[in-house]
Amino acid sequence: MSPRLIVNASRARRIDLIAVTDHNSAAMTTAVAEAAAEAGLAFLYGMELQTREEVHLLAYFDDCEACAALSRAVYELLPDRPNEPAYFGDQVCVDIDETILRSEPKLLVNSLDLGFDEAVRLVRSHGGLPVPAHVDRETYGLIAQLGFVPEGLVFDLVEVVSGVLPDGFGSAVAVCSSDAHDPSQIGRRTTVFEMNDCTVDEMVRAARGVGGRSVACCPGEWRMK
Amino acid sequence: MTVSDVVDRLGLTVLTGSVGVEGAVSGGIVGDLLSYVLGTGAPDQIWITVQHHANVVAVAKVVGLAAVLLADGRTPDEAVLARAKSDGVVLLQSDETAFELSGRLHRLLTE
Repeated sequence: MSPRLIVNASRARRIDLIAVTDHNSAAMTTAVAEAAAEAGLAFLYGMELQTREEVHLLAYFDDCEACAALSRAVYELLPDRPNEPAYFGDQVCVDIDETILRSEPKLLVNSLDLGFDEAVRLVRSHGGLPVPAHVDRETYGLIAQLGFVPEGLVFDLVEVVSGVLPDGFGSAVAVCSSDAHDPSQIGRRTTVFEMNDCTVDEMVRAARGVGGRSVACCPGEWRMK
Repeated sequence: MTVSDVVDRLGLTVLTGSVGVEGAVSGGIVGDLLSYVLGTGAPDQIWITVQHHANVVAVAKVVGLAAVLLADGRTPDEAVLARAKSDGVVLLQSDETAFELSGRLHRLLTE
């Protein structure tokens, strides 16, 4: 999953906009952003937070520094448990040329000392768009982990695996993403946004149907020809 | 007390064959949050849970647990079973609830 490989795989599958949402860290976003810019592929910064209840929450940003600030805040909320490379990989951060810059010593595949509500507020306070991840999935999905959608939280976009938004999300709109942990998974699920630009604000306008904009899930598996 | 002793005394099913069943058991841990077990678990404990996805095997391995005991008849899929076998992680199963199993395991280990 090197920066250029991600970008090239995305372009090969005719994807116009990608985001990188690594687990509890945005350290790799700048290198992929650079590769995306090089190739003319639109890019959003992001992360996937894992809350105390083991719910996954995506966060999307137009702005590199805002995303980096959330990443720093999240780092302080990660327990001090060290990584174990034999089981979880080396957690390397590479540059655009795949030169290893460092290995992250703290285990990133862990839960933050942060409840779900608090995590949503934290993302918003940093200027990011919070999107509950794969809510219809048994593992690490909002509904499976919390039992049902908590009252009082409003989202514009909610990510699903099936393409169908479960009840309880009000006027939110479903999106699908690859959630690729491997290059072969890039493009396996996508979303078509009809919008004027590749920004978070435009995604929100599309979710709200402003000025004819729209959002449509493509949950089907992408197949190699 | 070994895993095998616990299996016999509590009437558990072993899902992963004979590897690891002679391992020592020193205690137990109960919960369905993997991050909780990562943070609080200790080697040679039996972990009682209803979670049965692949990450459970990784956590059991990392923490050095004696076994994972799946309550309520939870059954892992073939991929998870294969992963457990190849990683040397013991998966046990019972139809009883986690509450029942915790009580009985605790009594067994403290009698």
